[in-house]
Amino acid sequence: MRDRLLLLLYLGAIVAATFVHDPARLAAALAVVLLVSGTRAPRVLGRALRAAAPFAAAVSLGWLAAAWWEQRPAGAALLRLNLRVLLMTCLTFALAARIDLQRALGFSRTLRFALVLTVSQVLTFRRLYADFRLALRCRSPRRASTVTELRHGAAAGAWFLRRAEHDAAEIAQALDARGFFLDQR
Amino acid sequence: MHVPDGFLGPQTYLPAYGVAGVMWAAGLRRLRADLDAATLPRLAVVTAAAFVLMMITVPLPGGTTVHVAGIGMLAVLFGVWNAFLSLSLVFLLQALLFGDGGVTALPVNALAMGLVGSLAAVGAYRLLRRVNRDAALFAAGWSGTVAAALVVAGVLGLQPQLSRAPDGSPLFFPFGWKTTLPAVVIPHLVVGVADGVLALLAGRFLAPRSAPARSAERPGTP
Repeated sequence: MRDRLLLLLYLGAIVAATFVHDPARLAAALAVVLLVSGTRAPRVLGRALRAAAPFAAAVSLGWLAAAWWEQRPAGAALLRLNLRVLLMTCLTFALAARIDLQRALGFSRTLRFALVLTVSQVLTFRRLYADFRLALRCRSPRRASTVTELRHGAAAGAWFLRRAEHDAAEIAQALDARGFFLDQR
Repeated sequence: MHVPDGFLGPQTYLPAYGVAGVMWAAGLRRLRADLDAATLPRLAVVTAAAFVLMMITVPLPGGTTVHVAGIGMLAVLFGVWNAFLSLSLVFLLQALLFGDGGVTALPVNALAMGLVGSLAAVGAYRLLRRVNRDAALFAAGWSGTVAAALVVAGVLGLQPQLSRAPDGSPLFFPFGWKTTLPAVVIPHLVVGVADGVLALLAGRFLAPRSAPARSAERPGTP
């Protein structure tokens, strides 16, 4: 129940943030989120900055250049946009990190099952892909060429798709053997 | 390509949730209709594969790299609805677990990449497969990415028209179509080439053994 309430609180806060347009209120809300995060605040802020910075910086710099070219003020719009993006990203790292998604989505057994299976596979595949990258790097005396990178990407992509097919069949057989689908019916 | 939180106004994401909700329900209904022991594990594992495909970087001339989207590859190999549901789940996990993308941008990202991109990819593949399968695979990868980029550019460029402050300044994404269409679509014409090459190579690698490689070729699919 706690996780479901936290998820609803998070979603409500995210939606509310898109209805607030006053930079002072957005800044106050950001301060509250960081205060609530307690000792995790620097980490939450750092992660949010790293996640939001590339897109927000590109848009902000473009908007600044356009405003300078057309000789119009850009400060308020930029401040509002960046505060809102930072607030929403901080909310994600502060609140979503505390939510156990499997429990929050526990109202549907199928959904929870799909989520557990997906997350476990995502974590495995991420680790395997990191291994592939390291393998390519340690086997290339010089920086790999564009063609090598492309071939590596295609081979990795094809490997993951084939592995996905294999894993799906294996998991289905394992679940079937344990009577999971009988319980579902 | 996918949009982060904070750049789309409620005038966009609330109706987008409505449309995406209908599409998710339709996709799940199709999934339940052929629900057997393999359906859910397959959806979950294909989702994980889609997630990792988005981590694959492709070098561009000039020293930069881009992430492929893998939309065409997924749509051709697993069908439009599987690709749509898988990519939606990927965006949800990226938003909630890794802070990438966002909850408000989720329906737009899912519709642009998962649905429009997949439909464009499968359409291009079916159009060209009788002429040349390799060309069809490449076209699927390229058109899936470019079609999705077009939708994302369209939605972003709509923002300044939908919501402005009393002083006329934009409340959300500030640039109109004049900027978003070239800025988003032109780089993706190049990214699309990388996606096309990956779809072609992956299709070639998988074709001899993989039954799902025929999913876009089966009558009645998507």
